[in-house]
Amino acid sequence: MNQSLRILIILLPIFILVFFTKILLVDEDLKLSSFEAKNFPAFELDDLNGRSVQSESLNGIKLLNVWASWCITCLVEHPFLTKLSKNNVEIIGLNYKDSKSKANSWLEKHGNPYLFSIYDPRGDLAFDLGVTGAPETYLLIDSKVVGHIQGEMNQQKWETIFMPLIQQATQKK
Amino acid sequence: MIGEISHLLSLSAVLLLSLVLIFNLFFSFNQSHSNQLILSMRLFNQACWLVFISFGIYIYLAISDDFSIAYIANHSNSQLPIFYKVTSIWSAHEGSMFLWIVFLIAWSFLFINALDKNHPLKKPTLLMLSLIILGFLLFLLITSNPFERILPFGAIEGADINPVLQDPALAIHPPMLYLGYVGFVISFSFITAYLFHGDFKLDWEQDIKNWSLVAWIFLTIGIALGSWWAYYELGWGGYWFWDPVENVALMPWLAATAFMHSLFASSKSDVLKTWTMFLGILIFALSLFGAFIVRSGIIDSVHSFANDPERGLYLLSFSGSITLLALSVFAYRLPSLKSSKLVVSGSKESFLSMNNILMITSIFSIFLGVTYPLIIESINGDKVSIGPPYYNTIFAPLILIAAVFIMISVDALWQRSMSLRSLFITMAIPTFLSFVSIYLIWAFASVFSLLAYIGIFSGLLIIFSYINRIINNFFNKKYINKGSAVAHLGLGLLFFAVSMNSIFSYEKNLNLAPGQSISVNESVQEFYFKDIRVFSASNHDVISAEVSLLHDGKEISLNPQKRKYATRGQITSESAIHASFLKDTYLTIGDQLENSSWTFSLKINYFIKWIWFSAALMVLGIFLTIFKKKAS
Repeated sequence: MNQSLRILIILLPIFILVFFTKILLVDEDLKLSSFEAKNFPAFELDDLNGRSVQSESLNGIKLLNVWASWCITCLVEHPFLTKLSKNNVEIIGLNYKDSKSKANSWLEKHGNPYLFSIYDPRGDLAFDLGVTGAPETYLLIDSKVVGHIQGEMNQQKWETIFMPLIQQATQKK
Repeated sequence: MIGEISHLLSLSAVLLLSLVLIFNLFFSFNQSHSNQLILSMRLFNQACWLVFISFGIYIYLAISDDFSIAYIANHSNSQLPIFYKVTSIWSAHEGSMFLWIVFLIAWSFLFINALDKNHPLKKPTLLMLSLIILGFLLFLLITSNPFERILPFGAIEGADINPVLQDPALAIHPPMLYLGYVGFVISFSFITAYLFHGDFKLDWEQDIKNWSLVAWIFLTIGIALGSWWAYYELGWGGYWFWDPVENVALMPWLAATAFMHSLFASSKSDVLKTWTMFLGILIFALSLFGAFIVRSGIIDSVHSFANDPERGLYLLSFSGSITLLALSVFAYRLPSLKSSKLVVSGSKESFLSMNNILMITSIFSIFLGVTYPLIIESINGDKVSIGPPYYNTIFAPLILIAAVFIMISVDALWQRSMSLRSLFITMAIPTFLSFVSIYLIWAFASVFSLLAYIGIFSGLLIIFSYINRIINNFFNKKYINKGSAVAHLGLGLLFFAVSMNSIFSYEKNLNLAPGQSISVNESVQEFYFKDIRVFSASNHDVISAEVSLLHDGKEISLNPQKRKYATRGQITSESAIHASFLKDTYLTIGDQLENSSWTFSLKINYFIKWIWFSAALMVLGIFLTIFKKKAS
C-alpha cells in the first residue's frame, strides 16, 4: 500500500505534466486554425487623392497599415513596408487623424509604399477597427480581418505572425 | 538610461542567486559551515534588495511616463492619475509577473531573516527559496522582459490602461491575490527543506504557522475582492462564475484551508503530520499551476494574458520540476514519516482529517472541471464547457458532509473520542433549528431547489452550532476558541448567503422608450425610464439613463451608464446599484433598439453583500487566531 502510494505521488504529477506539455505543443496550431476572422467594418471614406474607396479593393490578401505624418514609429517601420511593397505585398494605408496636405507631403518626402491611403481624419474607421494608436497593421484576407499587430511592423513580426496566417489561407484555397 | 539601470539590477540579482546556489551545491566546506551560511545569506539578501530597488525604479519609470519602454507605452498613458500609472504595471503579463516575483522575494526575504540563525533548516530553506526565485526571475527576463525598449524612437503617448482596470478594486485585487499565492512558498520551501534534512524530531509547525495564516488571509481577501470587482465594476451581475481562472485560485485556497486545519491538529496533538506536509507542498504547487493556466493562454478566460507557448513551456517545466522535486523527497521519506500517535476515532482531529479528505476531493473535482474540456479537446477535438451545474452538483453534498463534521467537531475534544450521548446532544439543537428554518424558508419562497436547500441547511447547521456554543460560553463559561468560532460562522454564513441568493434572486429584461413606465411585478411596482443623456467625459463618451423605481414601496433612482473609451474604442457598462440590508437592485443598460427604445436588465440580488461580509468574518477569525497566538 505504502509502496504504491509513493509511486502514485510521483507518477500522477508526471502524468499531468506530460499531458499539459502535449496540449501546449498542439495548442499553437489549434489557436491559429480556430482564429475567428472578423468582417471588415463598413465605411464611406475617400483616399488621400479624394477618390472614394471601394470595398472591393479590400479583396485578396492585403495589409492595412495605420499611419500618420505625426507618428514617429511609422517612420521607423517605413523602410520595411517599402521593402514589402517591392516584394509585391499589397499594402493599403489608413491615414489616421492627420491632415491631407501633411500626409501627402510626408509620402512625397519618404516614398509611398501604399496602393492608396484611406483618409480618416476623425478616426472613424480606426475606431470601428479598434485601433489604439499608430502604427498598427492588419492582415486582411478577402475583406476579413485575420491578423493584427500593434506597434512597429518588422521582419520578425512579419515572419512569425502574418506569414503563417497567409500560408494557412492559401493552403485552404 | 534609468530603465537600463533597473534592468541591470534585476540581472545582477540573477547572478547573485546563481552564486548562492553554486557556492552551496558544489563547494561544501564542512568545518566553516556557519561562515558559509553567513556568506550565502548576505548574497541572498543583496539579491533581494537589488530586485526591490529595480522594481522601485520601474514604478518611477511608470509614473514619469517613460514610453520608450514598450510595456509602459502599451499599458499606461500620460493622462492617467498617478495611482493608475502605478497600477497599470500589473495590468498585463510582464508587469504583473514582475510584481509576483517581487512579492515572492519579499516573503522569502522576511521569512529567512526571521528564522533563527542556528536553525538547522535555515540553509536548505535558503537554497530552496533561491532556486525558486532564480527560476522565476529567469522566466521574467528571458520570456517576458518588462524592460524592453521601443527602439530607436519611443512612443510619444501611451496606449492607455484598459478602462475596466481603472478601478480601485482592481488596483488591490491582483496584489492581494499574489501575496496570498506566493506566501505559500514559505511552507513549500520549509517543508521540502525539512524532508531533505531528514531529522524528524524537529518541530517545524510553529515556524511556519503564522506565516501561512497571513498568506491565507491575503489569498482570501484577494479572491473576495476579485468577485466584488466582477460584480460592481464589470457589470457581470454575479459574484462567481466558475471561470477556469477563478477555479485555479480556489484550488490553492481549499488546499490552504485544509493545510491550516491540519497544521493545528499536528501542532496540538502530533497527528496528521504527513497530511500537513503533503498539503503544504500542494498549495504552492497549485498556485504555480494557476500561474501556468493564466499565463500560458491554454484556456480562454477573461483573465488570460496574451498567449505564448514559449512562456507556457518554460513555466510548466520549471514549476513541474520544483513540484516534482518536493514530491519526490516526500515520497522518499514517506515510510519514515510516522506520526507518533494514531488518530482516535471520534476525536476532534478525526473530524479534521475527514474534512481534509473532503477538501482534497473538492480540489480534485475542480481540477477535473478545469482540465476536462482540454482532455476532451485533445482526444477528439470537441469543444465542451463545464459550467456551474457541474460544480453545484459536486459541491452540494460535499458541503453538507463538511457541515455535519464541523458541527460535531465543535464539541469534540483533541485525542479523546466522543460518547454517543454527547454526540446526540451536540447535534440535536442545531439540526432541529435548521430543519425549522428550512421549512419556513420553503413556505416563504415557494421555490424548490434541492441543491440550494442543501446549501442553506449546511450553512445553518454550522451557524446554529456555533451560536449554541457561544451561548454556552456566555452562560456556562464553557471554553470557546474565538478565532475558530468567528471564521466558521463566516463559512456558515457564506453557504447560507450563496444558496439564498440562488433561490431568491431573479432577473428581468425590459424594453422601454424614454418617458415610458411599466410595472414589473408585485415587488417592483413601477419602473419609470425618465430620460437618456449622451455626453463626453475626459477620455470617454457616456450614455446615461435616468430611471426611477418604486421597489417595495420605496422610490429609488438609478443611473446606469455605458461608456465608450476613445483611445481603445472599448465599451464598458456601468451598472447602477441600490443596496439595502437584504438585497441589491442592480440595473444595467443594454442596446438601443430600432424603435428608439432601450433594453435594460434588472436584477434583484438577495443576500449578495452577505457573501463578502462572510469572507470578511473568516478573515477576522484568522486574525483573532494569529493574535491569540501572539498573546499566549
